[in-house]
Amino acid sequence: FILMLSLTLGTMITITSNHWVTAWAGLEINTLAVIPLISKSHHPRAIEAATKYFLTQATASALMLFSSMTNAWSSGQWDITQLTNPPSCLLLTAAIAIKLGLTPFHFWFPEVLQGSSLTTALLLSTAMKFPPTTILLLTSHSLNPTLLSTMAIMSIALGGWMGLNQTQTRKILAFSSISHLGWMTIIITYNPKLTLLTFYLYSLMTTSIFLSMNSTNTLKLSTLMTSWTKAPMLNTTLMLTLLSLAGLPPLTGFLPKWLIIQELTKQEMTTTATTISMLSLLGLFFYLRLTYCSTITLPPNSSNKMKQWSIKKPVNTLTPTL
Amino acid sequence: METALLLNTSMLLTLTIILTPMFLPLLLKNFQSSPQTLTTTIKTAFLVSLMPTTLFMYSGLDSITSYWEWKFTMNFKIPLSFKMDQYSMLFFPIALFVTWSILQFAMSYMASDPHITKFFSYLTAFLIAMLTLTLANNMFLLFIGWEGVGIMSFLLISWWHGRAEANTAALQAVLYNRIGDIGLIMSMAWLASTLNSWEMQQMFSPMETPTLPLLGLILAATGKSAQFGLHPWLPAAMEGPTPVSALLHSSTMVVAGIFLLIRSHPLLTNNKTALTLCLCLGAMSTLFAATCALTQNDIKKIIAFSTSSQLGLMMVTIGLNLPQLAFLHISTHAFFKAMLFLCSGSIIHSLNGEQDIRKMGGLQKTLPTTTSCLTVGNMALMGTPFLAGFFSKDLIIENLNTSYLNTWALLLTLLATTFTATYSLRMTLLVQAESTRTPTMTPMNENSPQTLNPITRLALGSTVAGLLITSFMTPTQTPPMTMPMLTKTAAIIATTLGLIFALELANMTHTMTHPKQNNLLNFSSTLGYFNILTHRLSSTNLLYTGQKIATHLTDLSWYKKMGPEGLADLQLMASKASTTLHKGLIKAYLSSSALSILVILLSL
Repeated sequence: FILMLSLTLGTMITITSNHWVTAWAGLEINTLAVIPLISKSHHPRAIEAATKYFLTQATASALMLFSSMTNAWSSGQWDITQLTNPPSCLLLTAAIAIKLGLTPFHFWFPEVLQGSSLTTALLLSTAMKFPPTTILLLTSHSLNPTLLSTMAIMSIALGGWMGLNQTQTRKILAFSSISHLGWMTIIITYNPKLTLLTFYLYSLMTTSIFLSMNSTNTLKLSTLMTSWTKAPMLNTTLMLTLLSLAGLPPLTGFLPKWLIIQELTKQEMTTTATTISMLSLLGLFFYLRLTYCSTITLPPNSSNKMKQWSIKKPVNTLTPTL
Repeated sequence: METALLLNTSMLLTLTIILTPMFLPLLLKNFQSSPQTLTTTIKTAFLVSLMPTTLFMYSGLDSITSYWEWKFTMNFKIPLSFKMDQYSMLFFPIALFVTWSILQFAMSYMASDPHITKFFSYLTAFLIAMLTLTLANNMFLLFIGWEGVGIMSFLLISWWHGRAEANTAALQAVLYNRIGDIGLIMSMAWLASTLNSWEMQQMFSPMETPTLPLLGLILAATGKSAQFGLHPWLPAAMEGPTPVSALLHSSTMVVAGIFLLIRSHPLLTNNKTALTLCLCLGAMSTLFAATCALTQNDIKKIIAFSTSSQLGLMMVTIGLNLPQLAFLHISTHAFFKAMLFLCSGSIIHSLNGEQDIRKMGGLQKTLPTTTSCLTVGNMALMGTPFLAGFFSKDLIIENLNTSYLNTWALLLTLLATTFTATYSLRMTLLVQAESTRTPTMTPMNENSPQTLNPITRLALGSTVAGLLITSFMTPTQTPPMTMPMLTKTAAIIATTLGLIFALELANMTHTMTHPKQNNLLNFSSTLGYFNILTHRLSSTNLLYTGQKIATHLTDLSWYKKMGPEGLADLQLMASKASTTLHKGLIKAYLSSSALSILVILLSL
């Protein structure tokens, strides 16, 4: 319970901060609160995940502090929105990238997600991304667009390619998260509101996926195939949500992609827009594979017995379909 | 004013008379055309067509009549218009006369054929198409006639369609004609896009026309009139019945190409390249055909090659910028060539289907009228003074000698004249003279008037036609009047030389045992290796390319390598490569992060 409280506290501090030190403090509180959550199950993989998480996040926070210090040294103030020193902008971008999990700093993310339970993974993918995104938003006017675009395109590409070869659902969702982060960062210097919109919609969709998978306890693709026996209605909505993540038009997930592409073309970045659309086709493929496994086909043997039922029922799984 | 009215009306009347037997059976139930009715129709049409011709001769009146316009687009109209000038006026009676004679002959030749009425209707349809071509005032109508004669030629050559060689020959004819049609359509397209009209009058502007449309027209003439390069179909077309050969492939269809060039002569006048091309092409064709005719043993093939040779001569005339003279040669050639074919048809029937001249001989005693007409025809072909061929052929050679053009073409033409004399005499000797080589029981028969009358009529025409036509045709260019004695008699001397050669060769055959093969003989008898070389090569190439495109290009490269499967392979490669990167070593991760940060800081 207290961990939840600390998490909330940390997030609030970061969001409402105006000074670099308070931002850093909030981020540190978040990190420290999540570490025991990850390692709750005392599994070696979980411990390893926790360690990796700690190392990377600590590096990131240190870098962030470093950049704010150099900025303070050169400009004499600690305001978040007044980030004028170019190297510190770059360093800050790198730090936030590590925190979020953008390429080329994304390597920790799949393993950490794999090591944690499904609910913690949910937390990591949605709630923990929120403070760094806020910082990015606050400083978006002074960041280097080239760097951000490069990292974003690479994220989308790598998220697509890596996701193709996975069978563990948590890793698949990790790569989908990396990919969506790419979509978010590509538009941040041109229209930060779209980043926010993407983030909200993405967290909504991922939440429903994670919760659905939690109630049917599917950690692998093979488990996914028998999930129709446990909660058939849930299975159907899972399919729709997955396709929404992929970005198919009548579903909600299409909206951020469409607006981002429109914004990019307004900025005369049509090649970029085309490239990222093509690369998200790779993501579409593994979403379709998940859909195929869960809903469209039936496994060779049928099991009629119900396995575990979690107590929490998934909420708002229907909203992504609207 | 009334002259024009009479002219137009009589011309239309002629046309209507010819069209009647084609359409009446469709309209009336109990009217069936028979060969007799068709022949009578053509005879009537001939007599009627003499009226516009005489009107034209005495008044020099040209007329262009336009009916019913087809509004193709807003500013491109194609009227149905007939041009009645010297060419079409003179061509009508000649064509109708020849057709009448041929139809009368065919009544006896094809008497044993159960579908004789269909045969006659085909011939009439062909005639209609040919006359449309002649009368046309715009390229559209000419094209209709052009294609019409092509199709009828196909149907008529393969009349005995159970015979494989006949079908192959018909296909050959159509294919070669089609290649020529490409040229015609190209010229028509150029005319439509540049001059915005297909009317003959609009084509005649004094400026120099670019070579491209003229090349197209020359290609069309090469295909239709069997000039060298697109010539193999004409000897092969001898698979059809003799009336077909007489009508199509001697007098009318094969001159369609030359006629096209005559009609579009003002376009050709100013373009030296096109004229030289015509000249050389014609010279080449005439010599080649004459060479091939020297060693032929089939009587019909000899006459076919002689047609080819004369067509080359007509092309030479076009190249000399003398369309009227070419037309004169067309007209006179029609008479004696048709007669030669009919004579050979009669001989073939008499010998019960024998076409090889090595198995004929001494026919002068058994078929006197036919062989006399054969001799007359051959002499007219050679250009004997004051027969029909003399007026055109001698004039052509005179003009050739006194012009400032290509000497090589001149030499070839003279040589071809010599050869003409040689093979004609060879044919005459082997068929008529000396001792008989035919089998003993043959149905020799030339008693039926239906066979004899056409032949004698055409013989009369061969004799007087030249004189008649030249008396009444006003030349547009002054013919050369004065030239040295040698030049004037060049044609006669060449012909006499040829005759002497032939007599010598005929004498030599009495002492020879078995002719040895030598290169020249091989060249001549296999028609210059042309058929053998081109036919197989071009078709295998085409089919092979087609197969390559279908399998290699489409299936293999586009689907497998570059298209969908290629993309899928690329993605698989990328996916596998990136999976091996993510091994789980935190040291690697942190070091890569550090490196990336360094790179970022340094570059930006």
